[in-house]
Amino acid sequence: MRKTVIRFYTIADFEEEERWLRTMHGSGWKLVKMTPPCVYRFESCEPEDVIYRLDYKNEKQTPDYLQMLADFGWEYFAECLGWLYFRKPADQAQAQEDGELFSDRESKLEFVSSIVKTRLLPLEILFLCCVIPNFLHFGLGDGSAFGKGLAIFFGVMFVLYSFLIVYCGIKLRKIRKKYEQ
Amino acid sequence: MDEKIKRIYVPMTESGFYILFCLQSPQHGYGISRQVKEMTAGEVTISAGTMYGTLSKMEKDGLITFCREEEKRKLYQLTALGREILETEIRRIERLYKNSKGEEIHA
Repeated sequence: MRKTVIRFYTIADFEEEERWLRTMHGSGWKLVKMTPPCVYRFESCEPEDVIYRLDYKNEKQTPDYLQMLADFGWEYFAECLGWLYFRKPADQAQAQEDGELFSDRESKLEFVSSIVKTRLLPLEILFLCCVIPNFLHFGLGDGSAFGKGLAIFFGVMFVLYSFLIVYCGIKLRKIRKKYEQ
Repeated sequence: MDEKIKRIYVPMTESGFYILFCLQSPQHGYGISRQVKEMTAGEVTISAGTMYGTLSKMEKDGLITFCREEEKRKLYQLTALGREILETEIRRIERLYKNSKGEEIHA
């Protein structure tokens, strides 16, 4: 049996997403495929406690990277917008670090930094250089139907971007604080 | 020694130290992790992402070099610079250890 779930997670919600996928697998639904941006395809399976982890890679993942993750017991099974999905049965993780992708503070912080640098920052630049100028331009526009349509479009974009930037900015900062301790 | 590299790696993280220490002979990421688990009786576990990231960074900084590939696994080994950093770090840890036991260091 298969089912499709649409669920939206921002770039700052990877921990929630990992927990959700683990709960799904525990109740007999394993993730088989991701379709960007937010379509999850599940297949029914035996309920099992399986740890899910997401890594973020801006560049193309190399065969030696996937081989190393496989050596460490991580099954790579999906990719979505730079996010790589891994899982491992919980009983294969003897030490707590076996159930994590990152075992020390430095590498955890670097992981968050790479999300900020390659995802949050471009969002902010796009907001400042594209969304705001267009919003102002069409918002004060000529009153034609086409202009009004664009004004509404950029108005929606303005609200969406503002929300995402504030939400992700605050949340990533919190995650970084947690990792620093 | 390159001062900038020295500032980054001395003192070094625990994972960094063990990885560099193991690479005195050619080894791949998973091999290092098993060796570290064994020599520390399971007290130190290095996760996959941390291992991959540290190896990539050390290779970029010239501490280790890629020596060959075995079934998609990259094997690395220390360079002269890596050995120098490792020795500096070992001397620092020896000093810490001696001082912690109440011994004094004489030049």
